[in-house]
Amino acid sequence: MNSSTPRRRLAAVAATASVTALVLALGACSSGSGGAAPGTGDKPYVALVSKGFQHQFWQAVKQGADDAAAELDVEVTFEGPETETEVEKQLTMLQTALDKSPDAIGYAALDSEASIPMMTDAQSRGIPVIAFDSGVDSDVPVTTVSTDNLAASAEAAKHMAELVGSGKIAIVGHDQTSQTGQQRVEGFTQYIAENAPDIEIVDTQYAAGDQLKSADAAKAIMQAHPDLKGIYGTNEGSAIGVVKAVQESGRAGELTVIGFDSGKAQTDAIRDGLMAGAITQDPIKMGYETVKAAVAVIDGEEVEPVVDSGFYWYDETNIDDEEIAAVLYE
Amino acid sequence: MTTSSTATAPRRATGLGNRQQLQQLLAFGGLVVIFVFFSVASPYFLDWANVKGILLATAVTGIMALGATLVIATGGIDLSVGTGMTLCSVMTGVFLANLGLPLVVGVLGGLAIGALIGLLNGLNVAYLRLPPFIATLAMMMVAQGLSLVISGTKPIYFSDVPGFGQLAGGELLPGLPNAVLIFFVAAVLAGVTLSKTLTGRYALSIGSNEEATAISGVDVRRWKVVIYVVAGLFTGLAGVVMASRLNSAQPGLGLGYELEAIAAVVIGGTSLRGGKATILGTVIGALIMATLTNGLRIMSIPQEWQKVAVGIVIVLAVYADMLRRGKEA
Amino acid sequence: MTDGPALLRATGISKSFPGVRALDGVHLDLRPGEVLALVGENGAGKSTLLKLLSGIYQPDAGTMELGGAPMSPTGPRQANELGISVIHQEFHLMPDLTVAQNIFIGREPRRAGLLIRDDELERRATALFERLGIPLDPRQPVSRLSVAGQQMVEIAKALSFDARVLIMDEPTAALTETEVATLFRIVRDFVSPRTGVIYVSHRMEEIKEISDRITVLRDGRYVDTLPTATTATREVIAAMVGRRLETGVRPAPPGPGASDGGSERDSSGHDIVLAVRGLSTRALLKDVSFELRRGEILGFAGLMGAGRTEVARAIIGADRSTGVVEVNGRPVTVRSPADAVRHGIGYLSEDRKRYGLLLDQDVVRNVMLSSLRGMTRGGFVRDADGRRVVEEMVDRLSIRTPSVTQRTKNLSGGNQQKVVLAKWLVRDCDVLIVDEPTRGIDVGAKDEIYTLLTALAAQGKSIIVISSELPEVLRLADRIVVMCEGRVTGTLANADADQHQIMELATRFGADRSLVTTGDPE
Repeated sequence: MNSSTPRRRLAAVAATASVTALVLALGACSSGSGGAAPGTGDKPYVALVSKGFQHQFWQAVKQGADDAAAELDVEVTFEGPETETEVEKQLTMLQTALDKSPDAIGYAALDSEASIPMMTDAQSRGIPVIAFDSGVDSDVPVTTVSTDNLAASAEAAKHMAELVGSGKIAIVGHDQTSQTGQQRVEGFTQYIAENAPDIEIVDTQYAAGDQLKSADAAKAIMQAHPDLKGIYGTNEGSAIGVVKAVQESGRAGELTVIGFDSGKAQTDAIRDGLMAGAITQDPIKMGYETVKAAVAVIDGEEVEPVVDSGFYWYDETNIDDEEIAAVLYE
Repeated sequence: MTTSSTATAPRRATGLGNRQQLQQLLAFGGLVVIFVFFSVASPYFLDWANVKGILLATAVTGIMALGATLVIATGGIDLSVGTGMTLCSVMTGVFLANLGLPLVVGVLGGLAIGALIGLLNGLNVAYLRLPPFIATLAMMMVAQGLSLVISGTKPIYFSDVPGFGQLAGGELLPGLPNAVLIFFVAAVLAGVTLSKTLTGRYALSIGSNEEATAISGVDVRRWKVVIYVVAGLFTGLAGVVMASRLNSAQPGLGLGYELEAIAAVVIGGTSLRGGKATILGTVIGALIMATLTNGLRIMSIPQEWQKVAVGIVIVLAVYADMLRRGKEA
Repeated sequence: MTDGPALLRATGISKSFPGVRALDGVHLDLRPGEVLALVGENGAGKSTLLKLLSGIYQPDAGTMELGGAPMSPTGPRQANELGISVIHQEFHLMPDLTVAQNIFIGREPRRAGLLIRDDELERRATALFERLGIPLDPRQPVSRLSVAGQQMVEIAKALSFDARVLIMDEPTAALTETEVATLFRIVRDFVSPRTGVIYVSHRMEEIKEISDRITVLRDGRYVDTLPTATTATREVIAAMVGRRLETGVRPAPPGPGASDGGSERDSSGHDIVLAVRGLSTRALLKDVSFELRRGEILGFAGLMGAGRTEVARAIIGADRSTGVVEVNGRPVTVRSPADAVRHGIGYLSEDRKRYGLLLDQDVVRNVMLSSLRGMTRGGFVRDADGRRVVEEMVDRLSIRTPSVTQRTKNLSGGNQQKVVLAKWLVRDCDVLIVDEPTRGIDVGAKDEIYTLLTALAAQGKSIIVISSELPEVLRLADRIVVMCEGRVTGTLANADADQHQIMELATRFGADRSLVTTGDPE
C-alpha cells in the first residue's frame, strides 16, 4: 500500500490519541474520586478484596470500612471485580493484595474453593485474613463477618408465607455458585418447606443478577404459571428485574414480590407498592466490623470466629425509620 | 455466455436481495420451528403477553445487532457494542439526570456518544489499520472503564426525568411497548442503510473485495469510518432504550451483550468474512436467541442448559448456512 | 517512435522494487486511432508499465504525456478521470455485488443525495450492455458469473468511463472464441481518431488480428516497436526471447537399469517413478499425461495461467482432479498433501513465504515440520535428534545460517529455498516438485540452487521443475513438458529444445476451446 504516508499516519495517531485523552479527561472530571497510594506511611494497612465494586451494596461496605479506618486510624484499600461472576479476576486481585504485604486482608470470596491455595499462601506469609460477606471453607480466616444469609432468607420466606397464605411462588436467584447465592435460596425454601405446607415453590431460575435477564426470567416463569402468587428475588438486580417483569406484564398488585438488599429502584418499588418488602443486610456495619476485626487481630486481640453483621426486614411501614434508613443505600 | 438467471422478482423490498431471501427463509424457518416446538411443549408459550415479552427481550440486543451487522458486512467485527451501549446509557444519565438537560438533548447526546465510539473505532481501524478485533476490543474495555468512572460506579436513576421511562416503556401503539417499536423502526432504517445508501453499498463492497473497491476509486478508509459511526449510532440507541427500560443507567451491565449481538447477526446468515449481510436475517437471529431463552425458561430448563442449547443453535444455524452456500468455510 | 502526434506517450520510464529493477528506461507511444500490442515474456515488465500508466504505481524516472500534456496520475480514480481505463489481468470485482453495482461502484446515482437508485443503475447498465452487445443481466451477483462473464463485466466497467485510452491486460485469457469476437468488435467500435487501445497479450494470432503495431519489452527494457502487418510472428518471438547464451546444460541422467527394481520401466528402459495419466480438473486442466523418470529433472514450461502449478497441486491432492497417478508403477489415491508426502512426493510452492515456511520459527522447526511423527517419543518431540539431523542437512546443502536456531525470516531467499528443500529431503521424498525454484532469489544464489537440484537428481531423486524462466528450464531439465491452457502441447528432450520451439508450443492455443464453465453452480 502506498496510500498512507508515515506522516499522515502519524497525524491519525495523534488525532485518535487526543480524542481518547479528551474522553478520558471528561470521565475523570465527572468522577472526582481519587485514591491515595496504599502502603505509605506508618499506619497499619488493611487491604479489602470484595466481591464487587460498582454495586451499591459494596459501595456501602466500603463506606463502613472507610468509617472504621478513619476512626481507628488505619489505612484501608478496597477493590473488587466488576461483576460477581469474575472469580478469576478476583483471585488476581487477592494475589496482588497479598503481594503488597498488608498487615491484614479482608476478603469476600466469590468462590470459596478457588481461593483456598491463596488462603494458605496468606497464612504462610503471616498475613491474617478476615472473611466478610460469605465464609471461606478454610480455617485460615480468623473470623468471618457476614450476614446470616440462611436466617435472613428464612425471614424473607416468613413474610412471603404471611402475605401469600397459600399457592404457587417462584424464586429468581442471582448466583448458584456462591455460598451466599445458595443460602439465599436454601434458607427460603427450607422455611417454606417446614412452615408453609400450602405454598409450593414451582420454579427457581438464575439470571446472574442482571436486571434485564432477571425480568425476562421472571416473565417466563409467570407465563408458565399463570396462577403464580409471589416471586422472591435474591439480590438487588434480581429483585428489580422481578418488579420490572410484574410491571411490564401489567400484573402489578396481583403478585407479591419480595426482594433482597436495597438500592433506589427497590426502595422506590416498595414505596410505590410494587414490592411487598425486602431484606436488607447491614453493609455499612459489615465494612465497619471487618476493619475493626482486622485492627483487633493486628493488635493481637482475640476475636470471635463469627461476627454477625445483621439484617432487617423492611417494607412500606418502616422504610423511613432511622434504624432502617441508615442501612439502606440508594 | 451465462444464461441470465431469469430476472424475476425485482428487488424492491428493504434489505432483501434475491439470494438473500433464501438465506432468510432458512433463518425464518428455524424461528418457526422453534416457535412451534415451544408452543407444543408448553401451553403457556403461545400467548400475546409472552410474545410481547420475547419482543421486549429482543429489543436491546437486536438494536445492537443492527449496527454490528453493518460492521460485519465489511468483514470487520465490533466487540464494543455491549459496553459501548452501557457508556451511552450512562452518558444519557449524565445529560438528563445529572445535568438536567432537556429530554431531546439528552437522548441525542446518548446517540452522539455512540457515534463518537464508532468514530474512534473507525479511525483506529481505517487509519491506524488496527485489526477490527483489536480496535473494538480496546474500545470495549475503555467503554466499560469509562462507564464505571463517569457514573462513580453507581447507577444513575432517571426518576426525576419525566417522560424518559415512557420512551421505551410506553405504548405509542396500544399493546406494543415502544422499545419494540423503536427496534422495528431502527431495523427498517438499518435495512434501508444497508441496501439503499452508499454506506451500506460500500460496506458490502469492502467486505466483498476491499482492494477492488479501493481500485474502483472508493475512498475505503473514509467510508469505513462512516460505517463504524453509523454502527455506533445504533449502539447509542440501544443504550438509550436500555436506560429508559430500566429507568436507570447501570454501569456494571453490558459485558457479554456484544457476543449475543454477534450471535444474532451470524444466525441471521450474515457472513463474518464480509460481503454478505442482511438486516432481516439479523432481526430473525435476535428473535431466535430471545425465543429460545424464553421457551427454555418457560419449560423450567435450568440456565446452564439454556446456554448449551443456544450454543448448539449457533453451530446448527451457521453450518446450515454454509451447506446452503455449498462451499468454503 | 517520434513520428506522428502521440495520444499517450511514455518516455524513459524506470521503476524499481526492493531488489528488482522492473523497468529500465522504457518507451511507449500510442497513436490516436490505433491498437498497440504490448508483448514480452513473463517478467518483461508489461504489468508494471500498465500499473504506472493507470496510476497504481508512480515511476522512479521518466515522463508520461496524454494528448501532448504531461500527466502523472496518482491513483486509479485520477487515471479514469484523465480518460485512461484499464482492464487488469486480475479481476477487481466485488463478487457479492451485482453486475450493475460493480460497474458503477463509486458513481452511484442517488435520490436526494442519499438513497441509491438501483433502478437507474440497472437502466444505465442495460443501456451500456446494449451498446456493447454484451448479453449480461445487470441484476446478477458477480459471484454467479463465469470467468468469461466476469471478464465482460471488467470490460464494460472500463468502457463505462468516457475513456480516451483503453488498456487491456490479457483480456482474452478466459474468453471463448465467440466472446473474443465480441471483444474485438467492441475494441474496433471503440477506436476512433481521438482514442486508442493498448493491448497486452501472449496470443500471437490475436495480436496479428487486432493490432496495428507491436511494442516488445524484454527484461524490463524496451526492445522495439514493429508494424504488425509486415512483421512475421517468428520475428516478434525472436524479439521477445532475445539471444541469450545458455550455459551449463547438465549431463544426461543415469541410463537404463541404473537403479533397483520394483518400478516400471518405459519403452526406452527408464525407471518410471511417477506417471500421470489423463489428469483433469474442473477449472483448467485437460487430460494431462506425462512420466517422470528416476534421477531426471523434468521441466514444466508455459505462460502464466497455462496450468503448470495446477498440475502440481492436483498431483499432491491440494485440488480435486480426475485421472490416474502412479507411483513406482502402482496407482495411488492422493486426497491431500499429507497423502502425497506418504507416497514420497514433496511440493515446494512458488510462494515460499506463504506455503513453504514458518517464518517466525527457526530452521530446525521448519525442516522437521513434515517429519515430526517419526521424531517423537511418547508424544514429545525429540528436539535433540531433530537438531542433529538438521545440522547434517545444513551441512549437506550448505545452508548459510549463523545457527540452526535462526528464524527463517532472517535468511536470504536462496537459503530459505534450501530450508524448504531440506524439509522434504529429511522426510525422504523421492519425488520433488519445485515450483519456481529461484523466484525472488538473487542471481548468485540461483546458480547454487541449480547445482543443488542437479546434484540431487544425480543422487537418484526425481525432480519436476516448474519455471516461467525459459533459460532456467533449459539449463536444468532433461526433458521439458510445455503446457498451454491446461493441456500438454508438447514434450521435448532438452537437446532438441530451444526457446523458439518452446514459445511456439506455449502459445499453441487450442482451436476448439469450449465454452468456459459457469462458476459457482448452486
